[in-house]
Order: sequence, then C-alpha cells, then structure tokens
Amino acid sequence: MTEFLQLLFQGIALGSQYALIALGFVVIYKATGVINFAQGGFVLVGAYLAYNFNQTWDLPFPLALLLAMAAGALLGAIVERLLLRRMVGEPVFAVLMITIGLLFVLEQSATSMWGFDNLNLGDPWGIETVEVADLNLAVADLWTIGLAAAAMAAFFAFFRYTATGVAMRATAVDQEAAAAQGIAPGRIFALAWAVSGAVAALGGITLAAGPAQLAPGISFVALAAFPAMILGGLDSPAGAVLGGIIIGVTQSLTAGYQPDYAEWLGTNFHTVMPYVVMILILLVRPYGIFGTREVRRI
Amino acid sequence: MKRANPKLRILALFLSLSLVAAACGDDDDEPEASTDTSEETSTPEDDSGGEEGGEEGGEPEEAPGFDGETIRLGVLTPQTGVAAVIGNPLTEGNRVFFEALNAEGGIAGKYPVELDVADTQYQPQTAVQQYNATKNNVAGYVQVLGTPVVNAVLPLLSEDEIVAGPASLDSFWVPEQYLLALGGPYQLQAVNAMDYWFNQEGNDPADTTVCTMIQDDPYGEAGQAGVEFAGEQIGFEVAETARFAATDTDFSGQINTLNSGGCELVFLVSLPSATGAIIGAAAQQQFAPQWIGQSPTWVGVLAQSPIAPYLEENFLLMSEGPEWGDTSSEGMAQMIEDQQEYAPDQQPDIYFSFGYAQAWSWAQVLERAVEMGDLSREGIVEAMNSVGTITTGGLLGDYEYGPPEERVPPRESRVFAIDPESPGGLRAVSEEFVSEAAEAFEFEFEG
Amino acid sequence: MARARDLHVSYAQHVRLVSSRWMAVGFIALAAAWLLAPLVLSEFQLDVGSRVAIFALGAIGLNLLTGYTGQVSLGHAFFIGTGAYAAAWAGGDQGWPLWIWLPAITLLGTALGAVIGPFALRLRGNYLAIVTLGLLFLGEHVFNNWESVTGGGAGRAVEAETTIGPLDVTSLELFGAEFDREQSLFWFIWLLVGIGALVAKNLVRTRPGRAMQAVRDRDLAAEVIGVSLARYKVGAFAISSGYAALAGGLFGMLQRYISPTEFGGQLGLFLSIQYIAIIIVGGIGTVFGSILGAFIVGAMPRIIESVSQEQDIPFVFGDAGGQDGFISVFSLNQALFGILIIGFLLFEPRGLAAIWLRLKAYFRSWPFSY
Repeated sequence: MTEFLQLLFQGIALGSQYALIALGFVVIYKATGVINFAQGGFVLVGAYLAYNFNQTWDLPFPLALLLAMAAGALLGAIVERLLLRRMVGEPVFAVLMITIGLLFVLEQSATSMWGFDNLNLGDPWGIETVEVADLNLAVADLWTIGLAAAAMAAFFAFFRYTATGVAMRATAVDQEAAAAQGIAPGRIFALAWAVSGAVAALGGITLAAGPAQLAPGISFVALAAFPAMILGGLDSPAGAVLGGIIIGVTQSLTAGYQPDYAEWLGTNFHTVMPYVVMILILLVRPYGIFGTREVRRI
Repeated sequence: MKRANPKLRILALFLSLSLVAAACGDDDDEPEASTDTSEETSTPEDDSGGEEGGEEGGEPEEAPGFDGETIRLGVLTPQTGVAAVIGNPLTEGNRVFFEALNAEGGIAGKYPVELDVADTQYQPQTAVQQYNATKNNVAGYVQVLGTPVVNAVLPLLSEDEIVAGPASLDSFWVPEQYLLALGGPYQLQAVNAMDYWFNQEGNDPADTTVCTMIQDDPYGEAGQAGVEFAGEQIGFEVAETARFAATDTDFSGQINTLNSGGCELVFLVSLPSATGAIIGAAAQQQFAPQWIGQSPTWVGVLAQSPIAPYLEENFLLMSEGPEWGDTSSEGMAQMIEDQQEYAPDQQPDIYFSFGYAQAWSWAQVLERAVEMGDLSREGIVEAMNSVGTITTGGLLGDYEYGPPEERVPPRESRVFAIDPESPGGLRAVSEEFVSEAAEAFEFEFEG
Repeated sequence: MARARDLHVSYAQHVRLVSSRWMAVGFIALAAAWLLAPLVLSEFQLDVGSRVAIFALGAIGLNLLTGYTGQVSLGHAFFIGTGAYAAAWAGGDQGWPLWIWLPAITLLGTALGAVIGPFALRLRGNYLAIVTLGLLFLGEHVFNNWESVTGGGAGRAVEAETTIGPLDVTSLELFGAEFDREQSLFWFIWLLVGIGALVAKNLVRTRPGRAMQAVRDRDLAAEVIGVSLARYKVGAFAISSGYAALAGGLFGMLQRYISPTEFGGQLGLFLSIQYIAIIIVGGIGTVFGSILGAFIVGAMPRIIESVSQEQDIPFVFGDAGGQDGFISVFSLNQALFGILIIGFLLFEPRGLAAIWLRLKAYFRSWPFSY
C-alpha cells in the first residue's frame, strides 16, 4: 500500500509538470487554433533563463523564477508578432511546421548559449524529502504540485473573473463576433502566446528542479505532454490539467508495477504508456475527454 | 503522341549507355576516385623494397593522411549531445599531447601531427557518415568514442584497413586487428569492483543482494558481462538488472525496481549525464545501496552538486591510473606539465588523462611506423603489431601489443571514492590491483 | 504568346506523362546525368547522392500521403525503421536474394500502413498528427525490445544480400569494368527512385490521384460525390508506408548498421520532420518537388560539414578554424534547418516546385513574360 501511495504521489507530481506544459499548448490552441510544437523550446529556454538569473546573476531563486516567467511571456509575445502574425489564414499544416522550425532554432540557441552539459538549476529544494506517515515525499515534488496548482487557480480565476480573460474566451469562441464587440484579436493572440510562454517557463523550472538536471533533453519532455493535451481535449484547459494528471499517474504506476507483473511488455514500457492511453481514449472519444466536437460543413 | 514516350525513353537510355560504354573503355578516366588512391599507395610500397616485419626502411612514402610532411589523424567524438561531457575533454587530451609533441618537431622529431575532428553526437549513424567523409584524408583515427559507435564503425574499418583507437574499454576490442585498444577493459573493471567489495572489503557474497543498473546498449552489456563473470568466480548472482536508454531523463521506475528488490550493492553503467539524475532519484527515494560505477559514469561537477554528500557516503568509482596531480607517477607528471602549458584552463578530468594517454599510445605506434619507413595503412598495422609494449608512464596500464592473438591487455583497476576536496572530486582508496577473478577472465580471440 | 501545344485540348493530352518536347529532353538529360555521375563524382559525393535518393524515395511516399491526400503523418520514420529492420532480417538473417527481399519489405510496409490507415478515418488534422507521433514512440519501444530481430538497443549490422541473379548491386561489373560500392549503389538506388517516381506520377495523374486530391480538399464533399474515403485514406497510408519501407531497406543496405534511436523517439521525430521539410521545401503535392527537396534537405548538412572542415566559419567552433566560436557545426545545421523551414513557409509555401514552375512559365511566354 505504501508503495502504491508513493507511486501515486510521484505520479501526481509528474502529472503536474505535464499539466503545466499541456496548459501552455491548450491556451494557444484555444485562442488561435495553432498547435505550438515549439512549446518544448519555450520550456527549455524558460528553464535555462531561470538558471541564468539564479546561478549566473546570483538572484534569489523566487525572483529568478518570476523573472523567467516574465521572460517566457515576452518570448511568446515576440514569436507571435514576428512569425505567427504572417501565418494567419495559412493552412494548419504550414503553421505546424513553422512551430517545428522554431523549436529547432530555440533548442540550438539554448545549447549554444549554455552548452550541452548538465547544469544545476540551483533551486532550494534539492533532494530533500519530508516524511509523512511512512511516505517519503520529495520537497521538490511538493513544490511542483503546489506551484502548478497555484498557476492553474490563477489561470481559472483570470479566465472567469477578469475582463481580459473573458475577452480571450470570447475570441476563442467566435473571433468575428468578439471583434464586433471591440476586442482586438491581435492583442488576444499575443496575450495567449505570452501566457503560454510564462506557463512553459514555470513547467521547465519544475522539470529541472530537484534531483533532475538541467539539460537540453527537457525540451523533449514536452513531447510527453502531447498525450496529456490530446487526452483532455485540445481546446479545454480543464482537460489539459486532468489529462496531465492522468498521464502522470499512469506513467508512474506503470513504471512501478509493469516490470513485476507484465514483463513481456518490455523494458521502459512506462515511457510509451502515455501514448497507449492516448490512443485508446481517442478511439472512444476522438476529440478527447472534454474537447468540443468539430462541426464540419461541406 | 503517347506512343512516342516509351520509344523516346528507350532511345535515350540506349544513347546514354553507349556513352557509358565509351567512357568505360579507358579506366584512367576515373579522376579522384579515391578507390584508386589506396591502390596507388600500395605500389610505391612495393617499390621501396621489402618491409617484412621490423626491417628499417627509409623515408616513408606519401600515404592517405600523410603528405610527406604532416601526419593527419581523425577523431570521431561527440562534441554535442549527451556524451559531449566525455568527448570534449578527451579530445582536448588528444590535442594537448600532440601540440606538445609537435613543439618538439613531431613524430620522430620530423612529422607534426594534425587532428581532423568530427562530431558524432554519440550516434552510430552520424559516426558512420563522418567516417565516410573523413577516411580518405587520415592515416588512422586516434579516437572513436562510444561502444555503440565503435561497433558501427568496426566493419568499415576492417574493410578499409584503417586503424582506430576506441575511446571505450570493451573487452571485445582486444582481439580486433584494426583497433588500438587501450586500458583495462570494462568487463575487468566490473570484475575487479566485485572482488574489491567482497574480497578486500570483506563483505559476504552470499548475504548481499547484488544488482546492476545499465545503459541498454553494448556499453552497458560490457559491465553486465563483467559482473556476471565475477558472480561465477566469487559466488553470487545478479538479483535485478535495471535498464535505461542513453537519452532517458526520468529514472524513478528503475530506482523503484531496485529499491523494492532490496538491492544492497548496485553496479552502475551509465553516462555522466544520467548518473546525476539516477543518483538524485535514488537519494530522493531514500534508497542508499552501495553504488559502484564504471569509469565513464563520472564527471567532476557531480562532486559540487547537491548530491555530493550522498555520493561521498554511497558511491565508489572504478577506474585506473593515478589521482590527478599525483606527480609521483611519471606519466601524470608529464601530462600536468603539458596541460599547464597548452590547456591551462582544463579542470581535473579523468577523460582528459585518457585522451592524453591515447594520443601518447598512437605516437608510439606512429614512431614505430616511421622507423619501419611506412606510413601507409598496411604500414601502420604492421607497426601496431610490432611495437612491443605500449606504455604511458602509469596513466594507463602497460599494454603488450603484437598480433591480435598475442596481445596482453592490462587488467588493473583502482577504486576511487568521492571527495569534493580532491581534484576532479576523486580520491583513490586503493592501489592499482588485479584481482584473481580478473586474471581468470579470457578474451575471445578469433581462431 | 503561349504556343499551341501548351494548351491541353483533350483528356489524353492532359494526363500525358511527358507533355512537351522540352520535358522529354529534360528526362534524357536526367538519365544521362544519372549514368555519368558515378564516373565523375567522388566517393563522398556519391554517398551523399545515394542518401539523397533514399530521402527522395521516402519523400515521394510522404507526398502522396500528405501532399495529395492531406493526411498529416509524423510517423514516417517508423515505417522507414520497419523497412530497415525487415531488410536486416530478410536479407541478412534469412539470406533472401535482393529481388525477393526488397519487394517483400515493401509489401510489409504497405500492409503495416494499411493497418494504421483506419486511424485516419476516425481522427483528423492535429489529432491524427499526434497519434502518428505516438507511433514513433511505440515503434522505438518495439525496436528496442524485440531483440531477436532487432538486436535491441545496441542496434545491429545489416548484411543483406545484394544480388539480383548474376549482378551484385554493390559491385557491378558491366562491360568489363568494375565499379565500386558507392558507384554501384548510386546507380541502383536512383534507378529505384526513377521507378518510384514513375509509379507515383502515374497514380497521381489518373483517377486515384484526383480522388486523393478531392479527399485533401474537402473530404465530406468527396464522399458525397462517391469517392470512398476509407479506400483512399487507408490506401494512401498503405502506399506511403510501402515507399517508406523501401527507402528504409535501402538505407539499411547502404549504411550496414541501424539502431532504434535513428527511427524512434527524438531522432525518429527529427527524421519524420526532415521528410516533412523535404516535401514543404520541394513542393507539397508534386512528385518532382519531393526529389528537389531531398537534394536540399539531404545534402545541406553534409555540405555544411564539409565546408566547415575546409573553412573557418566565424562563429562556429569545431571547424577548420579550431575551437573559437559559440555554436557547433551540428547546432548550425539544426538551426539552419529550422530557418529553412520557416523561410520557405513564410515566403514560398508551395516550395521549390512552385519556383520552378514560375521559371518555366516565365521562359515559356518570353519575351512577353510580364
């Protein structure tokens, strides 16, 4: 039982990281209809910027975290302005590929500035753990869950109660009608990308914190967040969070139990488990759990 | 009009074929086709008189990688990617040795050595492509890094008859004609490790749960083979083996497996980028067996990271050679001297010393080749087979070279503990030793 | 003034393969280039050329799937890997001769594609793209774990049979002259590309091609007018996977060593993206474009590397100028690749083929090109 709870806890922590990244995807998709493959790049740059602020410029960690989020937001807005603005109206496939191109450029910028070696993020959580009723809870994991929950709460409050948030939702539902109400779509797009960049930075920091090292490989963790996003529905923030948690927990439990009970599935099956879950759910609900069914007209 | 098409195409084909036939008439038309170069170089060799085993020849003729003045050697190393943390200092080691040598004139005082460095990203397919791109410009490869990379390039080396120095310590390299293997093999490191823990430190093999955590490729399998061999000799079985991919970043699954398996001794075979995350995950889960790591698991920065205290308590590293800066060892003294002159910013690093020793070994082979007057591919192979003992002043164990069946690799290892105060984070806790079990290990030579 | 023969006045004229005298001349020139190249190019250039050919073959298949039928697939690398491993097993372990195993792996790829195809019926657009992404990871997992066939994480050598009857395609002996490995393979692989392009072109200019394009443009409407979505979507997947498997088998034969990391996970994703880049740069929805794009995307990294070995590029380290600079050659390659994709999509979304067509149109109506 202890083992199960331990795995569950680790799964929730992992799922929170996925949820943060998936949330970034979903915000952009909901507002602009674009799947941003470069989200992994934002995660990477955000984490490295936090490292830079903290380790190279010696700022206290919380400040470094906030600054990294701000920088991520700025990066997102700039990308939107420079690249995506020109691609309005182009086919989905083309925009997808532009974000992929952007991913490459971001990755190489990060490695050229900070190198390939593993770096220490310098977070104050390290590898400490707290003992709660027989379980070893990593401090880094607790903070991850906490920060993610705070971010999501802020998120939902923003969308529900602020004027800008409502404006974003309106644009997502019907761009023209929102424009008729005086909401500038361009601003909304830039805002969506900015929010996504900030959330990605936070996700990157939680990924690189604790025992994990900061290395260029974390941009690929964003790939693992895809199933989370799809699972929950591409345009549903609540779905992104739920999807992230589901994928994280499934992955953790699989990692713990599969070698004992289903060895025939091979080693490291837990890394593909998210995709299996995603495919299974998509077969039943092709638009994800909370996604809106697309209405197609001839 | 439709009918014209097939006829037109056949006509076109016919015309082109006849063009080809005409061109094929005289083979001299093949310009810069590098397949010819190797033929051309073997003819001068025949002309300059017999070079049967060890005879002193004259000035070496021009050959691939040798233009009469400078010798070019290739380097296939990961400059980027997960293994860059090993590849870059290792290549620096190569470079520093040759710079120091060139300052004194080069090989035999006459021929400076230049390096052609290509980035393999620790990927076999990239390495193969880089090999094909560079092979005609170099006399041999001073460094090919990575067990999977060497595996991929080996059949090509045999086909092209080019010698390469593997920066990897697999025992499979020992009987290979075209590999200039150096140092005590991984398998023996593992055997010595087990011997150290049980026979020297006095732990009871019957009472210890021995596990391994290995990278899922030939590099990991080498260590695994060593541990299993030691198990046969000393009397234990490997209870659990956890595997992971070189690019994995999350090891909680594997740590869980080892933890719930009750492992007390874990032999680790990984790259430095993974070691940090693996140990970190273990520390976080309060899993503290005795870790013993294969030599490439280590990188100096780990001793300055948050997991350093855990490492000090629970981690030992198998390697060979003296501590960095221990000038009682001749080779180390020479290396420090050269390092301070040509790479003053170099931090203490076991990979740098390996690269330096590797370059030094190659220099000995090249000297022998110049002595025999032949720097062609065949000449270098001959030189390798007749160079006698390759020594690096203690940086690596002395290697008795000769034809592959007669090679005697060193079998020594040394155990290091982690100490943030020591250079490179490593402090020797044993002498260079060869265990009985290691002596019993047999290399598989082809008939 | 447009010349009379450029106006299509009959259906037969419209679907002609070679639609003008210039085109025929072009084909002859290409054939001549194909025959002469191995006699004048260096080993390295021929090796690059063979790799470009393999890219082209896979790209033709992907273009059929994505360019003509509109199904986005990120899983192309998986089928290539399947082809490579199948070649290792069938040609290497089983020892089947070339003329048996090469078609066999193509059929295997086709069958596998037909199995994956039905997903396309259920999922659309972004969802389909990401499910095919999942294929890559599943594929890598299978390649890593099915050790008896694939050799596991260590990869394996590919020692496939290379003989068709008396000919060995890795060392041809024609008209009394011996050709080495690079030359022989160059001829062989480009021959297959020619055949593949011909097949694709035939598919595209006739009824199936029109059906595929209808599916791409408006699949609901297509279904309404009687185009069977199931048949063409699944069929498109099947055919493109067949091409991919063929390309993979040739790749295995060329490189003689394959490992799971190349075809799955991160590098596999990169490979799939390279193929998509090829068809974008070359021109989506054209067969010729696949080949053009393959030249650029396939050869560019090698050219940059060989240039950097001769020259000192100012901000790059690891090149002829030594270690000063802040990005490695590899990073430069990746960054240029990304910029190439972005550039083409922003400024010429229809790719090189569109540029080529514009050039042709310009000269055709010269001197009235305005």
